[in-house]
Amino acid sequence: MASLQDLPGARGRYAIFGRVFLYAILLLFAAYYLLPLGVMVSTSLKSAAELRSGSLISLPRDFSFEAWGFAWNKANVGVNATGLAPYFWNSVVMVVPSVLISTFMGALNGYALTKWKFPGANLLFALILFGSFIPFQLVLLPMSLTLGFLGLAGTTAGLVLVHVVYGLAFTTLFFRNYYTSIPDDLVKAATIDGAGFFQIFFKIMLPISTPIMVVSIIWQFTQIWNDFLFGASFSSGASAPITVALNNLVNTTTGVKQHNVDMAAAIIAALPTLIVYVLAGKYFVRGLTAGSVKG
Amino acid sequence: MATLTIKNVQKRYGTVAVLKGIDLELHDGEFLVLLGPSGCGKSTLLNMIAGLDTITDGAIEIDGRVINDIHPKDRDIAMVFQSYALYPNMSVARNIAFGLEMRGMNKPDREVAVKKVAALLQMEHLLDRKPAQLSGGQRQRVAMGRALVRDPKVFLFDEPLSNLDAKLRVDMRTEIKKLHQRLGTTIVYVTHDQIEAMTLATRIAIMKEGVVQQFAPPQEVYEQPANIYVASFIGSPAMNFIPAQIVSEADRIGVRIEGAQGASVLPLPAPSAAVLKKVGHDVILGVRPETIARYQHGTNLPPNFARFSAQVSVTEPTGADTLTYLALGGRDAIARVPPKEAPNAGEVAEFTVDMARACLFDPKTEQRVG
Repeated sequence: MASLQDLPGARGRYAIFGRVFLYAILLLFAAYYLLPLGVMVSTSLKSAAELRSGSLISLPRDFSFEAWGFAWNKANVGVNATGLAPYFWNSVVMVVPSVLISTFMGALNGYALTKWKFPGANLLFALILFGSFIPFQLVLLPMSLTLGFLGLAGTTAGLVLVHVVYGLAFTTLFFRNYYTSIPDDLVKAATIDGAGFFQIFFKIMLPISTPIMVVSIIWQFTQIWNDFLFGASFSSGASAPITVALNNLVNTTTGVKQHNVDMAAAIIAALPTLIVYVLAGKYFVRGLTAGSVKG
Repeated sequence: MATLTIKNVQKRYGTVAVLKGIDLELHDGEFLVLLGPSGCGKSTLLNMIAGLDTITDGAIEIDGRVINDIHPKDRDIAMVFQSYALYPNMSVARNIAFGLEMRGMNKPDREVAVKKVAALLQMEHLLDRKPAQLSGGQRQRVAMGRALVRDPKVFLFDEPLSNLDAKLRVDMRTEIKKLHQRLGTTIVYVTHDQIEAMTLATRIAIMKEGVVQQFAPPQEVYEQPANIYVASFIGSPAMNFIPAQIVSEADRIGVRIEGAQGASVLPLPAPSAAVLKKVGHDVILGVRPETIARYQHGTNLPPNFARFSAQVSVTEPTGADTLTYLALGGRDAIARVPPKEAPNAGEVAEFTVDMARACLFDPKTEQRVG
């Protein structure tokens, strides 16, 4: 198809005016979204002295990474001057297994729900889907009882369990919708070829699931890394994830308020999800729309 | 290679009967085509033979062994799907070998088997490619290779050519026929395309609403259709159906039709006992377009040819023949005549019809009479 600008009459005065207007609006919104991040970055690069003298939106005179280093391993988190580093690794240790397990189980659920239809499969799917609409505050109490019963209260393993359970609703939804677009003939052919339930899953379905797997991993990674509620409720002290540690660092009431350190800490806490988006963002969009249009 | 027996097979979903008692018996090396419009149950029957669908009632036997409760992988069948169903993540070679891999054959043996099949289907150069890098015809070939490599007792084809463009479809059709002639395997082939059915089958089973209408060799289905449904499904352009009456005139029996200049009686050569019983009754005369010809003045007609005149409404030249529309018995009938003999539209012309090749149907039951 010819591009829209090449159509006859598409370059009139009004069209150009419309285009200028459009870009102006887009630039305005971009600035609106980027300004807070800009202020954060610029503040985190200022020294303590400069912070006190300059205004909030002025750019730093000399760049200093001092605040970043301080936030990473010297700042007071709660009562200990450990910096964010140990909590960062807490989060990594919690996020990686949570993401992998919930994605894998979502794939298995989606596969069973679409390719091995059993009576009530749709009802079961609807019930699983219901999990994605439950406000998580609602489950805090029963979940803490469950974790206590299992002996997992206050441990990273407990948090992994919570995140896997509440991630399943989303990952199942992703994979179920993706596998609906995969023709059933593939499973029939493999059945006649002699492959069983798990052989078909591992040898055929999983290898063709890359786009939706990327979606699921990004989604779960972002959700679990950014989670504060479960982290604050089900972890204790040294096992807290970075979101909880960030809160403790920023809300420390003793000493002078170090805004540059707060900003650096917040950026450190947000960095992994940003990196994941930058690296895999295009797969995310591609995966979300996969199956909606026939290839 | 094997025999396949289908005994009173039924399929019901709840109270809806999809197959209402199918009986078919296939000899070793036969090519059965299940033919019918969508929704007639032909694919359901194929899936039941494959084991992908359960049998509500009746029995299916391969080589005398009842396979109703046997898992698809143990039935010794192979299936080619309409969508080809190639595994997108595997190379062509691995696609073909997958069935052998699942059955625990070791790698060197698998490679030998794949090479043999690839040579048979002339696709050695494709073995390392992924399905996405293949054309429609090549995918079709791989799907057949995947079925062939296992050397099963029965091959099942589910509309394998309907995703190909017209030219390729004809080529692949010939190739499937050649393959069948060379290998002599027993094949069950589902299609809604009557040409595929006619060209490929040793016997056709024409289905409608879960019932087999006729189970016979292609030529017999064409010449002696069991009922109006079969007669109209096979042949293009379709058979002409003309309201008529069986009459007894002097010493002979004939059918009377309304033509351009009043009624004419077309004598029936050697009428059967069933036809004789119908004298005086209404019937539907079924005439294939190619059995109607232009009458050449001064020629002596063989006794089985009848002569009538009719008004020509439209002519459609197709190159090889000219389709000529005649007003006959109150409706249009089509004659397929050589272009040289084609009359002009609007003129009243004389035609002959080969009554030995005509069919008579009961207007109520729509079954063929005699």
